Amino acid sequence: MIKGTRNILAAAALLAWALSSQAYAQGAQGCILLKSTAEIVKEVVDAKGVKTVTMVPAEKVVPGVEVTWTVTANNVCKQPSEKVTINNAVPAHMSYVASSAFGAGSDITFSLDGKTFGGPAQLTVTENGAARPAHADEYKHIRWVFKDPLAPGASAVARFRAVLN
Amino acid sequence: MKSFRFSALSGAVALALAFSANHAHAVGVAAGTPIDNTATVDFTVGTVTSTASSNTVQVVVAEILDVDVTAPSAQTQVAPGATGKVLSFRVDNLGNGSEAFLLVANNSVAGSAFDPIAASPAIYIDSGGAPGGTPDVFDSTDIPYVPGGNDPLLIADGHVYVHLVNNIPTTAADGNLGRSTLTATARTGSGAQGTVINGGGTAGTDAVVGVTHALDLAQGEYIVQGVTITVTKSQAVVDQFGGAHPLPGARINYTIVVNSVGTGTAATAVFADNIPAGTLYVAGTLTLNGGPLSDLTDVDAGAYETTPQPRVRVQLGNLSQSSGTQTIQFAVLIDNTP
Repeated sequence: MIKGTRNILAAAALLAWALSSQAYAQGAQGCILLKSTAEIVKEVVDAKGVKTVTMVPAEKVVPGVEVTWTVTANNVCKQPSEKVTINNAVPAHMSYVASSAFGAGSDITFSLDGKTFGGPAQLTVTENGAARPAHADEYKHIRWVFKDPLAPGASAVARFRAVLN
Repeated sequence: MKSFRFSALSGAVALALAFSANHAHAVGVAAGTPIDNTATVDFTVGTVTSTASSNTVQVVVAEILDVDVTAPSAQTQVAPGATGKVLSFRVDNLGNGSEAFLLVANNSVAGSAFDPIAASPAIYIDSGGAPGGTPDVFDSTDIPYVPGGNDPLLIADGHVYVHLVNNIPTTAADGNLGRSTLTATARTGSGAQGTVINGGGTAGTDAVVGVTHALDLAQGEYIVQGVTITVTKSQAVVDQFGGAHPLPGARINYTIVVNSVGTGTAATAVFADNIPAGTLYVAGTLTLNGGPLSDLTDVDAGAYETTPQPRVRVQLGNLSQSSGTQTIQFAVLIDNTP
C-alpha cells in the first residue's frame, strides 16, 4: 500500500515537475519581444530659417542616404533573461557606417561570413594575396552581447547606421 | 576700266571633337529595389535557451533624378556664312532609374560676338551607330529631335550624344566666338534637391531630385576662322618714246598684290582680271611672284583666256596669312587702231 502511494506520489511529482518545466519552456519562448525600425534624418527649416532635425520612418530611400536601424528587445516575462544576444545582418545593398553600432551594456562584434565574429582589429580580408583589415563597409553581420541579465519589463536597445549604396 | 575679279571658296578646318574621359557615374541600387531586414535575439531564461525574430522592416529604394551634360571640349572652327556646323554634346543619366530627358538648345548666350543661327532641324539624337552610321558622330542616321515626341530615354548610368546644328552668320568676323548651350531636364521632375515626386519613380516608387537638380546645361563654342583678302592693283605706263603717256601703242604694266589677313584660309583662290577695252594683252607677260606663267591653259597656275572675254587668270591655291603676299604682273598695249 505504502509502496504504491510512493509510486503515485513520485509519479505525481515527476508529472508536476514535467508540467512546470513545460510551462517554464513556454515562458522562455515568448519572453523577449523583438522590434526593429528603420529611420532616416529629416531636416525641417521653419519660417524663421531655424533648422531642426527629426528622425522619420524610412520607407523610400535614395542611394547615398544613411538609414538608422534600431532593434529593441523587451523582456515581457516575470523572470530575467540572460545572455541576451541580438544579431542583425547588414541589410542588402547597404554599407555599414564605421563606429555607428551602439548598445548600452553590450559587447559588439562583427562578421564578414556570419560564422566568425570579432572586433574591427580581428577581421581581415585577403586582397592581392595579402591580408588587410576589413573595411567597415565590408561587414556583413553585427552582434550585440548584453553583459547583464535583462530584468522583467526592461528593454535592451541595439542600434547601427548603414548607407544605401 | 579697272576691273578684276577675285574668287575663293572660304575653307574651314573642323577639329576632331575630343571628349573628356572623366564622366560622373550614376550612384546606386536600382530604383524600386525592396530591402528587407529582420533582427534575431538569442536569450536564456533559467536553463532554457530560446530565440525570437523581430518584425521584418522593408525599405524600398526610391529613384534619384540626376543628369550631366558635357560639351565638346574643343572649339569648332568655322568660316563666316558656313552652314550645317555641328556641336556634339553628351547627356548622362546619373540617377538609378530609367528617365526621359527634355532637350532645349539656346543660341543667345550673353557675351558671344555672334549668335549661331539654328538650322532646321536644329537638334539631333545620335542613332548610336545605326547601319551606315558612326556612333556618337553626327551623320545621316541621326534622328531629328521632337520635344515631347522622342525625348531620349536613358537607363541608369546610360548616356546619349546630342548634336546641335547651326549656320554661321556671314557677318561674323575672324576670331569671333559664337556659343550654343544644350540643357537636359529630367521629365519626371526637377528643381530643389530633395523635391519628392510621389510615385513618380520607376516601379511606382517615389522620385527624388538629386544634387544636380535633375537638370544640367553645357556650352559649345564656334570660333570664326576668317580671312580677309585685299587686292591692290597699280600700273605703270611706258610709251614708245620713253615717256609715260597713254598713247596708242604704249604699254601698260600692271602689278597686282594679293594680301591675306586672318586666321582662316581661302581655299582654291583664283585671281582673274579682264583685259581693259581698247588694249591688247602682251603675250608671255603673265608672272606670279616673279616667275613666268605660260599663256596656255595647262598645268601651271596662269593662263590668258579669250572667252567669255579676254582676261588673265591665275590660280593661287589655298591662301592664308602664312602664304604671304602674292604678286601678279602682266602687260597690255594700248590699241593702235582707232
